[in-house]
Amino acid sequence: MANNDKVDVVIVGAGASGSVFAAVLAKAGKKVVLLEAGPDWQLGDLISSDIWGRRIKPAGPPFLLEGKNPYGYVYQAGWGTGGAALHYFANFPRLLPNDFKVKSTYGKGLDWPIDYVDIAPFWDKVADDVGVSGDAKAEEIWRPAGKPYPMPPMRTFPGGDAWKKGFAALGMRLTPAAVGINSTTFKGRPACIYDGWCHVGCPIGALSNPLVTYLAEARQAGAEVRPYATVTRVLTNADGAKATAVEYYAANKQRQVQEASVVVLAAWSAQNPRIMLSSATDKHPNGLANSSGLVGKYLTAHFASGTSALFDEDLQPYMGTIAAQYFSYDLYDKNAHKDKGAFGSTFMVAGAAARYSALGGVANARLDLFGAELAAFMKRAARGYTRLNAFAEEMPVIENRIELASDKDEFGMPLGKITHGFNDEAVALFNANFDKGVEIAKATGAKEAWPNKGPMPTIHLMGGTIMGKTPGDSVTDSFGQTHEIGNLWIAGPGIFPTSGAPNPTYTILALSLRGAEQLAKNWSSVAG
Amino acid sequence: MDEIERRAFMKGAAIGALAFTVGGAEVMLTPRQARAQGVALRTLTADQAATLDAMGETLVPGAKDAGITHFVDQQISIPPQEALLEARIMNVKPPFANFYRAAFGAIDGASTARYGGRNFAQLAGNEQHEFVDLMRQNKLDGWKGPAAGFVYFLLRSDAVDVVYGTMDGYAHLGVPYQPHIAPTRSW
Repeated sequence: MANNDKVDVVIVGAGASGSVFAAVLAKAGKKVVLLEAGPDWQLGDLISSDIWGRRIKPAGPPFLLEGKNPYGYVYQAGWGTGGAALHYFANFPRLLPNDFKVKSTYGKGLDWPIDYVDIAPFWDKVADDVGVSGDAKAEEIWRPAGKPYPMPPMRTFPGGDAWKKGFAALGMRLTPAAVGINSTTFKGRPACIYDGWCHVGCPIGALSNPLVTYLAEARQAGAEVRPYATVTRVLTNADGAKATAVEYYAANKQRQVQEASVVVLAAWSAQNPRIMLSSATDKHPNGLANSSGLVGKYLTAHFASGTSALFDEDLQPYMGTIAAQYFSYDLYDKNAHKDKGAFGSTFMVAGAAARYSALGGVANARLDLFGAELAAFMKRAARGYTRLNAFAEEMPVIENRIELASDKDEFGMPLGKITHGFNDEAVALFNANFDKGVEIAKATGAKEAWPNKGPMPTIHLMGGTIMGKTPGDSVTDSFGQTHEIGNLWIAGPGIFPTSGAPNPTYTILALSLRGAEQLAKNWSSVAG
Repeated sequence: MDEIERRAFMKGAAIGALAFTVGGAEVMLTPRQARAQGVALRTLTADQAATLDAMGETLVPGAKDAGITHFVDQQISIPPQEALLEARIMNVKPPFANFYRAAFGAIDGASTARYGGRNFAQLAGNEQHEFVDLMRQNKLDGWKGPAAGFVYFLLRSDAVDVVYGTMDGYAHLGVPYQPHIAPTRSW
């Protein structure tokens, strides 16, 4: 075993949230070490290929996946610096005010301990930090006013514009999508060239992945990144009141201990609870910061109802970004589909660039086709295909959870077990959004329109270490500080009590900035 | 990513090739080239290769000559962290070779049960089409292995990868590939 010199803060995970904490704390003069389980990716590693792009995701999950709708772990997860934000789509929608008091308003799900107004200044700060393109004023038909985005909206292409007619016909509204991608040069990073390869990693830095934003800032301020460092436990002092270090295994499989004044777990909604539960001691017999029994509980996933449309015209569907060209919150009312037995918000995106292979590719828009029929479809769809996606939320239930399994990994750490199922209201929302999507698609004048129905997907992952007002109803406060161990913080979507419907990364960055600034401001009392 | 590993990775990606072993030496070839040159398979048996050739071609015309069998064989013969297979992101537990062996066993088991002792590769074209149509719907009697629909999904994805997921594939569809960092030849 090797011990390392004590540092001010050790951060587990060098993805979106960990990078924000690292940047803020390193710039505040703290000695910061990030432990990352995967490689230290460089921009030059990001090959424009759906085949090669699989390398930036884990090889097999350290979780058993169970339940009625098993969670699709690896596609969503990160592996290496940048984390999942190395391959994210960079859609930057916000939550809306109706997301924060769902329990109080509707008697379902959970309430956040904070409101829209508490996060709004941090969405604005993040936009200025990483670069967001969009039309903030146009979005004010759905949300409170805020600062303009630092860049104008992205270019649009026929594959996105095609949806405007359908939305208008149904009296629905679309605005330019807010995206974390450069429509112009920004802070020395180039403008996007619209080649559609965002999701396998943008090597020119036009897309705001952590390698070119907060992680770069953190490194510049002196933060150290240790790749291939697999954390197995957080260690605590004798009375269990303080975290003292983390145990990890380095690339050479040697056990290491990194002492620190503050520990930040930023290893995503699944791995954070796994580490906390694996860190049980006699003072914390159910795992760290888990006297509430809620560590690992209230996991939520998004799901999406995709609608395909095929035109005779050349839509240039290969042009654009994997993010949306347009988005709409017109179905964001939690009861928008109440007549169909559904509950929850829906967020719609239109006109992502088409890829032709892999999970989200055109070939999978007709999974029933194979052989000559598939070949004929691919030819027809090559230039005439476009897609609308309706993302939606499920309400948190305690049964959707992470626990430890009896099987162990190569370091002797118990595997996690993720149990997940959608309830009837979520299934009804999934189906209702297909109906609406096809209705919109038909109104575009498309030659063909169909729902991409298949197994109900699980997208993104939130919860597992939810924030709340009291130690009895939550794991952390609204900043991510655990109620029970003051120098143990949680960063990332794990602290979301409910998910809303939009892509989560913009809110992950905003909450992390809010938490990191709070930690820096109160450093002495937290680090002791 | 450390420097040595990155150099190897970039070398392969930059020429659209994988590392195959020929005459005891490692050479960089595309799966199509490896097939055309008759590179020896490392993990799959001759029967498994025949099944995959036939299944790939039934799923996506062109997959056989595009080297689906050499692609899968090479990919299940390297460490899982380096694998580029759809199985990786669909939560298949490494080593991925176990999944493929089980899948081929299930396919040929169900085929022999249904078609008088003939493996999938020995079926006529219309029989292969009928078999796959039942497989995708989980409607094959005597299927023993990973869920038939999931096997259909993953093998179809492998076939789509080698036929459409490459620069040649995009060119065949008549759409520009537009890479930032190119797999400059076939894929």
